[in-house]
Amino acid sequence: MPDKPSGHDRATRRLWPALALPGTFWLIALFVVPFYAVMAVAFSGRINIFNEPIPAWNPLDWEFSSFGTVISDSFTPSGAYHEVWVRTAIYTFWALVICVAIGYPVAYYTARLAGRRRGLILALILAPWWINYITRMLAWVNLLQDDGYVNKALGLVGIPPHSWLSGSSFTVVWALAYGYLPYFIIPLFASLDRIDQRLLEASRDLGVGALRTFSHITLPLSRMGLVTAMVITALPMAGDYYTNTIVSGSPNTNMVGNQIELFLLEGPQKNIGAGLVLLLSLVLMFFMFYYLILTQRASREAAR
Amino acid sequence: MTSDPNDPARLPPRPRPQLARRDLLRGGVWLTVGLGTAPLLAACGNGSSGQAANGGAPYELARPDRPVTLAIKDSNPPIADGLDPETGGTFNILNYADYMAPGVMKDFGKEHNVSVQVTPYNNYDEMLAKIRQPGESFDLVFPGPSVLSKMVYADLVQPLNHSYVPNLRNVWPEFQDPWYDRGAHYTVPYTIYGTGVMYRADRVSSVPEVGYDLLWDQQYSGKVYVLDDRQEAIAMSLLRNKITDDINTSNADDVKRATDSLIQLISLVKVKTDINAYSEVPEGTATVHQCWSGDVIAGQYYLPHGQTPEVLGYWRPQAASDYVIGSDNIAIPKSAKKPVLAHMLINDLLDNKIGLRNFGWNGYQPPLTKLSATYLTDQGYIPKNLANSVVLRSDFAKGLTFYEVSPSTEALWQTNWARFKAGA
Repeated sequence: MPDKPSGHDRATRRLWPALALPGTFWLIALFVVPFYAVMAVAFSGRINIFNEPIPAWNPLDWEFSSFGTVISDSFTPSGAYHEVWVRTAIYTFWALVICVAIGYPVAYYTARLAGRRRGLILALILAPWWINYITRMLAWVNLLQDDGYVNKALGLVGIPPHSWLSGSSFTVVWALAYGYLPYFIIPLFASLDRIDQRLLEASRDLGVGALRTFSHITLPLSRMGLVTAMVITALPMAGDYYTNTIVSGSPNTNMVGNQIELFLLEGPQKNIGAGLVLLLSLVLMFFMFYYLILTQRASREAAR
Repeated sequence: MTSDPNDPARLPPRPRPQLARRDLLRGGVWLTVGLGTAPLLAACGNGSSGQAANGGAPYELARPDRPVTLAIKDSNPPIADGLDPETGGTFNILNYADYMAPGVMKDFGKEHNVSVQVTPYNNYDEMLAKIRQPGESFDLVFPGPSVLSKMVYADLVQPLNHSYVPNLRNVWPEFQDPWYDRGAHYTVPYTIYGTGVMYRADRVSSVPEVGYDLLWDQQYSGKVYVLDDRQEAIAMSLLRNKITDDINTSNADDVKRATDSLIQLISLVKVKTDINAYSEVPEGTATVHQCWSGDVIAGQYYLPHGQTPEVLGYWRPQAASDYVIGSDNIAIPKSAKKPVLAHMLINDLLDNKIGLRNFGWNGYQPPLTKLSATYLTDQGYIPKNLANSVVLRSDFAKGLTFYEVSPSTEALWQTNWARFKAGA
């Protein structure tokens, strides 16, 4: 190492932080500031005559009583929002299970076996993105009507019709999985695609069967992709409030997002809505941190 | 919501092909309805209100039995008499979505050489936020009684100059001098509606004396809807369970009991919530749906091919004094750039012919004396079996109505509503 940094070194030292500027600005403008605003509303509780919250910008003015109510109503079993939180967790969990069950094989096939059809398959996976999410859900409402095509098709094989849309958790979970599946497949595909083909060949050359190759090579190497895909889909699912509104509309399938919407849309208690936003963010952040720890550990292992 | 066959600007006729016509229709309807279903939207006639943060509002709260006169301030005078209407540019209307007939707006624009634009809102909080935006200007707005006083207090609307609105005499006399705006200083009425129950007459064998009981009837499980509106839903439960007649009650115990009864509906009939009775009942998705009377009138145009309005039914309380009614008004924002033109459109909307045309499109009844139930059924706007959906003058005089309550009462109702919506 030279004793004095050369001119070139100094330039690069300034260049790299400069490159981070747009990202930093983005993060501050679109995350830190809004998040602070949510806190200022959640910890205020004052409104003007127009039902608009008066945020407490100064942390010294913060009051935590209504946020405390939000927390106790969320986490005590008899609390008003307890049920909604449990439901949100269960729906997100099962929708993720479905995503893994359907998405992993699809991503695997596309990355490893599709060959020349890979472009076509990728295009098909992305095709739903050409249509607005809400429109796709409304299309399902048509299909799932009592006299819709789904029931007609089931009738052909002798299964009696089912009221899919009358407040069924089953329908909501499948709708969530359907809606977010492409978001799940794409990052997983990217990570499966990056696995070095030679590792798999080596494994087979050494006489390991296809299944064990998968469980010992492919699965561990795609673990980070799997976790990324799960995080990317779980975050929006947990905050979703329109999927269940469209395919159910019943109070017994409402999720946390619906409660947030109820309080933020109108009325004098926007601080409760902001409190729920804060709580949801904290819960999701907990998982994000876990994810970041995993990524760091993985990159450390890779460096070794 | 469309109807008037004479309205040139009505939506194109729905397709009537042999193949999958019904699905096409539904596709068309659902797209429009989609906007309504989208949770971002709340109800028409949804009364949201409030006071100063610390209790006592800085203005008088209007009550049917304690009418208020909204003073005309020197700092906010009405426009002078005899001005020429403005022309050119845009005429900006701040209104609920799909609440005024496009044909009416288009013709008005053509007549005065302006392009008429609507900025939609879903509830009064949103309306207030939009009208208060600095630099924003609107020429017409539709505030209900529960939000009017604060708008006058904050100089968001301007007084009317009645010399431009001679058609005010076409309106029911009680609306020329209503309790929320004595002397109609700031508003004229736009629509009036009642809250009742719309049902499929072909599936409901007998309607009980208290029609609300239809919603608590297990036979219709899975096809029962309440309005997605905390005031309407909880008020219905207050009345149905005879808890109190005071549909603005601040009694925590009463509101809790009414909500508990609503919560029963979840396990009893798998209740759902939305504000689309006008399409859900005709299409058969709902058998029983709490609704606004305007939905019933619009509903006939959402019937599947081959079905007649006889399959629909509407229940409302017999006595006017048990009937929940609401009304919306028209006012001119202080920020209006075309106040003369705004007065002229107001006058047009109170014209019997234009009022009827607008009603034919949106199904919501203007309180014009000429448009009585008999007249509207004779003219074919309302099927005979649904004539009870027309709101009568006696309903307005004696009916129950939502008015502006304190934020703490509002919070009490909202917290209970959240309990119901959580499906606990």
